[in-house]
Amino acid sequence: MAEQIPSKIWVMRPKASATQIRIRPGDLVDDVRDEILRKYGNSLGKTFDSPDLTLRIQASEETQNKQRTRTLGPEEDIIKTLNAYYPSGQTVKEALVIEIPRNSTTPKPSPRAPAPYSGSASATYYAEDGRPSETSEGYFPTVTGNTSSPRLAMAVPTQSSGSIPHSMTVISSGQLPPIPSPGGTRRHYRSRHSHSRTHSSSSEHIVSHSSSLPKSPGHEITSSARMGTPPPQRLSSPRLPSSRPNKKGKRSQQQQQQDYHHTPTPSILTATVPPINVLIVEDNPINLKLLEAFVKRLKVRWDTAMNGSDAVKKWRHGGFHLVLMDIQLPGMNGLEATREIRRLERLNNIGVSTAPDGIPETTPTEELTEQDRLRDIDKFKSPVIIVALTASSLQSDRHEALASGCNDFLTKPVNFVWLERKVMEWGCMQALIDFEGWRMWKELSAKAESIAAANKRALAFKNKTKKNRPIMSAS
Amino acid sequence: MALPDDKELESILGDGVDLTTFKQILEMDEPGDNEFSTSIVFGFFEQAEETFERMDVALDEKDLEKLSELGHFLKGSSATLGLIKVRDGCEKIQRYGKQENLDGSPEPDADVCLARVKEALMAVKSDYEEVEIGLKKFYDKDDEDEDGA
Repeated sequence: MAEQIPSKIWVMRPKASATQIRIRPGDLVDDVRDEILRKYGNSLGKTFDSPDLTLRIQASEETQNKQRTRTLGPEEDIIKTLNAYYPSGQTVKEALVIEIPRNSTTPKPSPRAPAPYSGSASATYYAEDGRPSETSEGYFPTVTGNTSSPRLAMAVPTQSSGSIPHSMTVISSGQLPPIPSPGGTRRHYRSRHSHSRTHSSSSEHIVSHSSSLPKSPGHEITSSARMGTPPPQRLSSPRLPSSRPNKKGKRSQQQQQQDYHHTPTPSILTATVPPINVLIVEDNPINLKLLEAFVKRLKVRWDTAMNGSDAVKKWRHGGFHLVLMDIQLPGMNGLEATREIRRLERLNNIGVSTAPDGIPETTPTEELTEQDRLRDIDKFKSPVIIVALTASSLQSDRHEALASGCNDFLTKPVNFVWLERKVMEWGCMQALIDFEGWRMWKELSAKAESIAAANKRALAFKNKTKKNRPIMSAS
Repeated sequence: MALPDDKELESILGDGVDLTTFKQILEMDEPGDNEFSTSIVFGFFEQAEETFERMDVALDEKDLEKLSELGHFLKGSSATLGLIKVRDGCEKIQRYGKQENLDGSPEPDADVCLARVKEALMAVKSDYEEVEIGLKKFYDKDDEDEDGA
């Protein structure tokens, strides 16, 4: 069998589709878990340490004498185990099922947590370069020596541990890791925290625009945009509080996983989102309708486009601060549309006073043609923020989106809490860039609001008094 | 109507629906009615049935590209609603239509792909029917609740 060459095995999340990961001869289940965290760098890697995961194997029909399903121990040789279960090779249907701790709020060691004994045989393979490292944030920094096995790190807590950095998003999600971290990692947590963005457990920001504003106070803009983000508040809908917590009953693993990001931060559907103008680009009418309903609730202005060229056309009218861009679109796709928008922005010198010096700019040769000229150039205060909506959680797809000129991304199905944060964060930033415009809009809308409120009140107390008192508190 | 608890929801909707995602849509409803989510869900039914028909046609025409496109299309909305089985089935169709295996490796034999699409389409239709029944039951039940209240 495949004793000599690296081979692949199938793994899957419960109810999700299976995927293959690479293993090497002699790899233990423990090593497989590390590899899984790489593969699921986003959904699991940011929240879990590899010892948190357990793997379940299901016996095929031909091996009835074994237990039908069981959990693999971390010390088992994966190839041998698989060969024993599936003598004719593992098929996709026999994918190992990845399980995550069921109750993530109670910090207790998983009963199947690996015993902290030394397993040096498996400890050094990360130092080899045979494996692709897709994770840009370096969940698994190239660590030489034997710190790369989580098991070892637990056994030798005094070592400076480079092995569990991916657990640090725990801080931002407000959840405790199910397994106590080894001593010495706390400091590590902090330092890693600086580039895990508090507000986006879902994805990473590439704040190319703020970093490309060296002359205007780019950093202040970013930081105040972040500071301007108020702490999570209660949702205005009255039935949510009762529906959200206390749902620790029977749930599938997957739901738990999603709740993981979902519950700790109740939505913030208040009027605190800046009055920006959002372009929603989405080809599926159902999804479009939902996104529309959502931004409507955020009380921002919006428009829609159902394909890439339509999106570019609408963007050319000007006035948009944020684009929510579906990637796979019929005809011109989202990436092409993004590239086109960026090309036109470049040609029309939008935001050029705050020139992009972070971006390697090598094509000033292109001339601005009449066709490419934006008519209402005043309406383009700064490059538009494009948030890609990707169906896949593959890191490579995200990199492609960022490379095309997107600023950020969200994975579909879009979690509304995250979406709101994105609108909020990027919206705050844009509002600060266009501060004058924003202030005017704000004054106008405050006036309109107070008039509306006053009218309402006047109506309600019509019988008592006709006095129409302006409500100044409306902000 | 108040949101039913998860257990109840799960028993009505079955395991083909991811509750977290689906509840997001329920939460978009105004208190007291579920007009909005109803329109989304029943809009999806329409879209799904239409898409299945178009898939059948594309299958007859052996148009793998079209099948992949349709698979992607329905994958998007089913994912949005949290209909995970339908979503996964659509993803399969999308992949096979692209002449890929499920792991993304190329599958040069078009006939193999067509046969796989056919199989996946049958499976996804039955998964769809299952969630359709569950969802309809859910909305019927709501009506009763409201009548009773």
